[in-house]
Amino acid sequence: MKISCIIVEDIQIAADFLRKFCEKSDLVEVKGHFLNVMDALEYLDRERVDLLFLDVEMPGANGFELLDRLTYSPMIILTTSKTEYAFNAFQYHVNDYLKKPFTYKRFIEAIGKLQLQPAETSPAQQLPATQTDTEFLFIKADDKLTKIRKDDILFLESMRDYVKFVTSSKNYMTYSTLKNMEEKLLGQTFLKVHRSYIVNLSKIDDIRGNTIYILGNQIPIGKGHKEDLEARLNIL
Amino acid sequence: MQKIRPPFVFDENLNSSFLEELFEGDTNYAEAVFEDFIKDLPVYWERVETAYHNRNLPILGTSVHTCKTLFGYVGFTDLQELCQQFENKCSVNSPEELRVDYILLIQRKERAQHIIEKEYARLRLFNGDKD
Repeated sequence: MKISCIIVEDIQIAADFLRKFCEKSDLVEVKGHFLNVMDALEYLDRERVDLLFLDVEMPGANGFELLDRLTYSPMIILTTSKTEYAFNAFQYHVNDYLKKPFTYKRFIEAIGKLQLQPAETSPAQQLPATQTDTEFLFIKADDKLTKIRKDDILFLESMRDYVKFVTSSKNYMTYSTLKNMEEKLLGQTFLKVHRSYIVNLSKIDDIRGNTIYILGNQIPIGKGHKEDLEARLNIL
Repeated sequence: MQKIRPPFVFDENLNSSFLEELFEGDTNYAEAVFEDFIKDLPVYWERVETAYHNRNLPILGTSVHTCKTLFGYVGFTDLQELCQQFENKCSVNSPEELRVDYILLIQRKERAQHIIEKEYARLRLFNGDKD
């Protein structure tokens, strides 16, 4: 499922670029473009979106005034040609800050960050019907963002500065840490069983001694993790 | 044997390496953006002129800010810098103190407009030849 967004931007060329980048990425669906804050607010009173691309300086009210008036907290990417707003951006917990004009590469980086820091306050979490963040994640691998269903993941292995995602059909390497992934995945069916491994509990075939077997893969159980593992398994 | 066509090279007055990254070789899109720029700039610039003549410096700053963004999409990085300086001065200077800077900005904007018009014509020719 794509990330739904609106663009709040008074410069048509800038909005056209954003729309083009969203379409090219195939990750973000643009639900609308608004030239000013008031029109955007009117829309946001009726509809919820996952993400706002928000210009700061616009005629009438500015982008931060829109954030003040919002009744929920979607993910926010500020788009501005001024760098002076960085402090405000920090205060408003915006997810990223794109200085116009920006390239497609920079756009994709910003979208990638959203996936690595799933919104605590995103509407997707507030609306049960669209709990997209629990079903899949995007990882940056081979210069693109790849969508992986969490249910397809067998286990994750730490490889220095990278994490290997092992699924039944393919392996993916992404530049990240196991600790970062832990925060995104734990509490669901995933459990850290070793300092270098997180496993999908639903994929375990069997456990022999201190080794977990998943589709022919052997994963060691680290000291201090066995109790946690046993507590999470339905042992009869 | 099919002849390999050399890529479009942007005018030396523009930040060509940035434009190449921005358009990623899509000269048709570049043509559309340059066309929009030619169409949009006079509309935004009129706001600059009105604000200057009305001595409304906050609106003058905001209007120059909009033009600054627009210049960025056609590769005028240096002009963006000039706009930024002017924008900053709007919050501290009087219209009289801004006069020299304002005249310089108009000159640079007119030169930029001329370059973009030529560049647009070149892009049209390039894309027309390609089709």
